[in-house]
Amino acid sequence: MSEGGDSGRPRHGESAPRLDERPLSVLERRLTLGDMLDTATFAELVKSFAELYKLGVKVFDDKGNRLADMKSGNGDFCGYVFSFPEGKRCCTQTVARVKDGPLATTQNARAPQAPAGTKLHGMIAVPCFTGLRYLVLPILWEGDVLGRVVFGPFTPDEMGDVPPSLTDLTPGLDLAQAQSYLAKIRRAPESTIVKVLLHFAQLLETLVAAGQKTFLTSQVHIEATLESNRDLEAQNRRLEQMNLQLKDMDRLKSSFLATVSHELRTPLTSIIGYSEMLSEGLVGPLNQEQTEYVKTIMDKGDTLLKLISSILDVTQIEAGKVRLSFEPISVNDLVTSALSSIKPQAQKKGLTVDLKLPSRAVEVRGDREKLRQVMVNLLSNAVKFTPKGGWVQVLVTEAKFQPELDADGWRFVVQDSGVGVPSDQLEKIFQSFYQVDNSSTREFGGAGLGLAIVKSYVEGHGGTVRVQSELGQGSRFEVVLPVQPPPPRALIAPPLSEAPPAPVERF
Amino acid sequence: MQLNHAQRELTVKVVYYGPGLSGKTTNLQMIHARTAGEGRGKLLTVETHDDRTLFFDLLPVFFHTKGGYTVKVKLFTVPGQVIHNATRRVVLQNADGVAFIADSRRTASQENNQYWGNLQDNMRENGLNAAQVPVVIQFNKRDLPDTKTDAELEETRARGKEPVIGAVAIRGEGVLETLYAVLQLAYRKMDEQAGLGRNIGLGEAEFLKLVFARMDTGGTHIADWLASGGGPR
Repeated sequence: MSEGGDSGRPRHGESAPRLDERPLSVLERRLTLGDMLDTATFAELVKSFAELYKLGVKVFDDKGNRLADMKSGNGDFCGYVFSFPEGKRCCTQTVARVKDGPLATTQNARAPQAPAGTKLHGMIAVPCFTGLRYLVLPILWEGDVLGRVVFGPFTPDEMGDVPPSLTDLTPGLDLAQAQSYLAKIRRAPESTIVKVLLHFAQLLETLVAAGQKTFLTSQVHIEATLESNRDLEAQNRRLEQMNLQLKDMDRLKSSFLATVSHELRTPLTSIIGYSEMLSEGLVGPLNQEQTEYVKTIMDKGDTLLKLISSILDVTQIEAGKVRLSFEPISVNDLVTSALSSIKPQAQKKGLTVDLKLPSRAVEVRGDREKLRQVMVNLLSNAVKFTPKGGWVQVLVTEAKFQPELDADGWRFVVQDSGVGVPSDQLEKIFQSFYQVDNSSTREFGGAGLGLAIVKSYVEGHGGTVRVQSELGQGSRFEVVLPVQPPPPRALIAPPLSEAPPAPVERF
Repeated sequence: MQLNHAQRELTVKVVYYGPGLSGKTTNLQMIHARTAGEGRGKLLTVETHDDRTLFFDLLPVFFHTKGGYTVKVKLFTVPGQVIHNATRRVVLQNADGVAFIADSRRTASQENNQYWGNLQDNMRENGLNAAQVPVVIQFNKRDLPDTKTDAELEETRARGKEPVIGAVAIRGEGVLETLYAVLQLAYRKMDEQAGLGRNIGLGEAEFLKLVFARMDTGGTHIADWLASGGGPR
């Protein structure tokens, strides 16, 4: 609700801050005649009307602003009269009466002559001191006066010579001259002009109706678009907020895991150390059974240590604590070294391992340790998931332009004849702790961190990692890395879904 | 409501809300048809080729009070299609009263509830207090098969404070009654806020009488209600 003026602000009992950001809708504004008329089109209409009927036509809005003004034939006469001081004064008075005077039969105005029963819609006739005449019609719209139409001046049919009121006021007036100018002005019975003006009013009403429709709908359309925009912006803000919260939670989780992993590793190192001392007989000889038991403790301890190290790696990446340090690397040397670390397991399973290096050494920049880990993780996965007697192929390409990176880069490909990955899980295997087979009795060990680490390190280098696989046939992991990596980037937290609001049951 | 003392003018806004094709535009068309030309403006409708409201419909009804005020009652409809929610919210801004046009058919209950929720949401978004803006429920299309029974309407009525009116808008039944009910509640709300009776000398009886003075109220309850000062419940 608003009180006082047209542009009053809404003042409802409970006001949301959004209201203040929003201007009053066009639906609640009082429209002016100018809002609803296409002024260019309207001017054309008025021009053709004035030419057809040889009549001056003026249209004003309720503030007196001129929306259309066509003169017809009266220029010379009025100009001549205006050149006399008293003529100027009277003329100005008449024009003011017509333009701004009351739309009532007061102040020299009277009801126009028209056949009985004609609906005049508030029309008035205003005589000019020269004997000419104006007709003025209010423009009514939804009970409001939006402005007025002025027809004239015209010469009433009954008028003979120039009236004495004119000759008396303007001594020195050349009557013959005045008569010749007067002849150029439309002469007609007043009732005829009344009919023409009523017809004009009908046309105007149609134009205003069409104009109002166009104006309101286009404005509401704009308001609705802004409204949609506001919605989207609010939603974006909510999502950003949620994203920040999630990132915070994620950092918290990572930091917790890092601390716990660290605390686990310290006693574990002691366990392994003391087991080693035992197995080396530093505190006395062990019998065969004891030696085997201690070896098992060491083996399992080692596995546990690796697992904890991986968790530590992942959590440090996620906590944003890993800083890659780039240095010049020879890819050929790095691959050869990584391969040598998985050779023993491969040999144990009787796998054929084939390495194809480019003839020219690939020299790039990168984090040596992290890239080595990428290679070792991919290679040990290949070995782990390939059954006895299978094969593993490793391929390194030369440095050249890579479309995925839109820069120069190189590829590291590991292909195997292993168990493969189901197609619906190809996307998920790069997530932390994800296992294709997550049953408690699964065949292959591991925490499901190797590929998450691979992905993080590769992306940290500005590269990409892709997998193709066919279940039971084998997998192919392809890493594309730039020759010149950009600075490291942050990780992205997964989205959460909001619970839908409870439905309203009114019906 | 906009009360302009300088221009001695009171503008009242009523919005016809509800699901698509429930009969909002039909209500306005019927009011238009039953109102004499000098008491109303043109009915502005913007429809698509398949008779769906694209932006809104607008029918202004106006009269002068004894105290010399011009009162304009602007009746709007909102577009019912789901995608036009932003337009619905724009049209709903600063409404003094809402006529919720529901389809009486059983199959429409879910959609009615959905739009009821949408109305509450949009009122809140517009800073309107849903508990304070008067709403009248019209159960339209009472003539169709598989509509809710009168007893079921009674249940809906008992579930909330809003007056519930049965209607067959296409035949004009219940249309003026709905308008009467929403204007009566809107007047009481505005009077509470701005003291219309005290400040501009416009009482509830005069307000309602002047609105319906130029309408053909034959065959409706309006004459009885005007005489007794009553209304639907």
